[in-house]
Amino acid sequence: MTSAPLLELSEVGKNFGGFAALKAVSFTVPTGGITGLMGPNGSGKTTLFNIISGFIAPSNGTVAYRGKAIGHQSVQERSLDGLVRTFQTPKVFERLTVVENVMTGAYKKTRSGLMAGLLNTPASRREIDATREAALATCRKFDLGAVAGKQASLLPAGQRRLLELARAYQGDPQLLLLDEPSSGLTTTEIEAMTDKLRLIASEGITILIVSHDMDLMGIAENIHVLDFGRIICSGSMAEVQENTAVREAYLGV
Amino acid sequence: MKYSGYILLAIVWLALPFVLERHAIDLLVFCGFYAVAGAGVGFLLGQGGIVNLGQAAFYGLGAYSSAYCTVQLGLPAPVGILTGVVVSLCLAFLIGRPILRLSGYFLALATLALGIICSNLFYEAEFITGGTLGIPGVPKLSVLGFALDTPTKFYFLIWPVAVLCVLSMRSLMSSRIGLAMQAMRDAPEAAMVLAIDISRLKLWMFLISSVLGSVAGSLFAHYVGFVNVDSFGVERSIFFLLVPVIGGAASPAGVLVGALFVGLVPEALSVLGDIHRVLFGLALVATVVFFPDGLIGLLKRLADTCIPARRQALKMEQSR
Amino acid sequence: MSMMLLAQACATGITNGLIYALVGLGMAVIFKGSRLINAMHGELAVVGAATAVYCVEIAMWPTWLAVTMGMLIAMVLSTLVDIGLVRRLFNRNAREESFLLLTVGLGFTFSAAVLYVFGREEHLLPAFGDEIYEVAGAIIREQTIWIVGIAAFILIGLKLFYKYTDFGLAMMAASIDPDGAATTGINVRLMRTATFALGGLMAAVAGLLVTPMIGVSYQMGPILTLKGFAAAVLGGLTNPLGALVGGITIGLLESLSIVYISSGLKDAVALSVLIVIMILVPDGILGRSGRKGG
Repeated sequence: MTSAPLLELSEVGKNFGGFAALKAVSFTVPTGGITGLMGPNGSGKTTLFNIISGFIAPSNGTVAYRGKAIGHQSVQERSLDGLVRTFQTPKVFERLTVVENVMTGAYKKTRSGLMAGLLNTPASRREIDATREAALATCRKFDLGAVAGKQASLLPAGQRRLLELARAYQGDPQLLLLDEPSSGLTTTEIEAMTDKLRLIASEGITILIVSHDMDLMGIAENIHVLDFGRIICSGSMAEVQENTAVREAYLGV
Repeated sequence: MKYSGYILLAIVWLALPFVLERHAIDLLVFCGFYAVAGAGVGFLLGQGGIVNLGQAAFYGLGAYSSAYCTVQLGLPAPVGILTGVVVSLCLAFLIGRPILRLSGYFLALATLALGIICSNLFYEAEFITGGTLGIPGVPKLSVLGFALDTPTKFYFLIWPVAVLCVLSMRSLMSSRIGLAMQAMRDAPEAAMVLAIDISRLKLWMFLISSVLGSVAGSLFAHYVGFVNVDSFGVERSIFFLLVPVIGGAASPAGVLVGALFVGLVPEALSVLGDIHRVLFGLALVATVVFFPDGLIGLLKRLADTCIPARRQALKMEQSR
Repeated sequence: MSMMLLAQACATGITNGLIYALVGLGMAVIFKGSRLINAMHGELAVVGAATAVYCVEIAMWPTWLAVTMGMLIAMVLSTLVDIGLVRRLFNRNAREESFLLLTVGLGFTFSAAVLYVFGREEHLLPAFGDEIYEVAGAIIREQTIWIVGIAAFILIGLKLFYKYTDFGLAMMAASIDPDGAATTGINVRLMRTATFALGGLMAAVAGLLVTPMIGVSYQMGPILTLKGFAAAVLGGLTNPLGALVGGITIGLLESLSIVYISSGLKDAVALSVLIVIMILVPDGILGRSGRKGG
């Protein structure tokens, strides 16, 4: 590993009541590239994601982002610092159009306030027009150009995932946390998703993927395997597949 | 061509006062109050998914501020209106910050409780509100030295104000903040991830709604010339909520349609005697159950199926 | 003198509190079985009581028959609301606010109907008994004893019903995990209807118990709903014992504020407490079973 880690978890644990969902999880995500976090259902992946993105606080341990502990920061503050996530079931803004969904991704990059909106000032109009143009370009980039004017609630599952990805991308993330980005998708849709992830990574955005999809995990350079709330193995895909602990716990071989 | 419908509406609006009798114009003025106060409730409901059952509190604050400032203190009307707005903003800010942390039913019932508490306080604070006797003799408004002393003259003030509110809401909806508000309504967690400050946006929405309620109340006080506690009860709050529900909360223009319905239909039904309230209630229930997009949604659907040009456009849209 | 006043205030507070608790219990039952807050609950109580009054005063029926009729009507009404309207909204996956608006609208309609039939006056039902007792200087009417007894009966009955009967368990399961319940063969829709029937019955019982003391009028619905809701929320919304404690707390606060503050502000005091409790103690004063949990 050449560069300093972008994200570093040390000894992160989480108890719900008496149940330890996570026990002293430590791993790092290097700057750049795609890192994978694998594990069967109930292994604590989503809990870990909620902790990293700031929705829940860890019971113990620290999360450091860009070398600084971020335990005290809200979801919004983390997002402003470039830490953006998606959800296991895509959360699109149902009653907005596709392009409007992507436009909200740029919320933190734009400035117009409440009064400007109420009074419909020229500056506010100019800004929103520019936002829309940029969002349309992103829609095309993510194969959503044809449905840009459609209401998001009408999209099928595959396009919902792409939309959520496009929306997150529009906010200029540095670290993109993707929760099961391939779940519920067809094989062709997974291929398209993989392409988009490679594209995003090639622009210098670091990606951390949570999944139990072995095929998708093929694009990750580095994989951590989580089981029963602890990391049981780290390494490349080949190394992980060789590991006996992983085979026993996860592959059920 | 595109604006022909609006031009037609404007002509009808201009012509109405010269055709209708005084009582009917009076009713239309009241519809205007419903539209302004209802626009606030409708904004909360449509863009924030928040049910506000306490709008009469702000309506009352506006009305009493105007009445007290003009009658008891002898101040000019704009000072009274402004006082109402400031007092409403303060209350909305103080109470909004804690209660907006609640959601769904809990928030709705908290606003209902707020409405009842304020209506109780209006009764009790006799030294300001005059209790059940109220405050008589609120002066008529005058704009640029032109006294608005008849329903017709007030009609030409209140409806432009209502339309202005609607236009402003519309413009907000398509702005950066408006999009963020709608995002928050549809998926709060996802909005948070995009750095949208949910509690601040909710508070802003509540503040906007309270200002509209207060302004409507102030104008009401100046129009009627007399305020007392009977005008600010729970029922009034429910009526304000009905405006966007019946009209259709998703589109800001819905409140105009809703206000006409809420202001005119009970009156039209009242020839049937006391049963008219029951019928009105049933109309509301039917709207919620059968026309979730309100009357404006119904009108749009009718327009889509009946007007050939629109039908064509719709087909094009779908085939894309 | 002051001690007697205090004792009387407490007695009144507890009596009213039990009524709020019964209203709250009914709302909790409906919440438990459907995850909905029934904003027309107070009006259902009014309808039940008004029906009984109508039967006694105009149809000259004996009280017991009139009371039964009141309960029956409220139950039927509540059931019909579920089958005819709530079900429709569920089928279309309506949002929470639609359900709220529906019950608010129905409440308005019911109260308008009561106004149409009865006019604006308050109507009293004959009390269940006329005895008057004196405890620690406070006058306690026989009606109060009845209220205490019936409240206790309902509370224990509900507890047993949810804990030990298959029907009660099925009702809970159907609301907490509708899909899971359906796969185990529970008819989720039927369970919700049963919930509404039970809720309507409980609303009527609360309304019938209060009518001999303060009389029923068309406009008392919303305040009854709110205080019942306050009681239920204080107790954590799904916990029957909590609703009882919550109701008595609200009732006491209210009657003490009459003595020490002003009679005109009793509702304001009770409702302020509701708002504060919802914000500070969302799980209710008894803690434990959260307001969202089963």
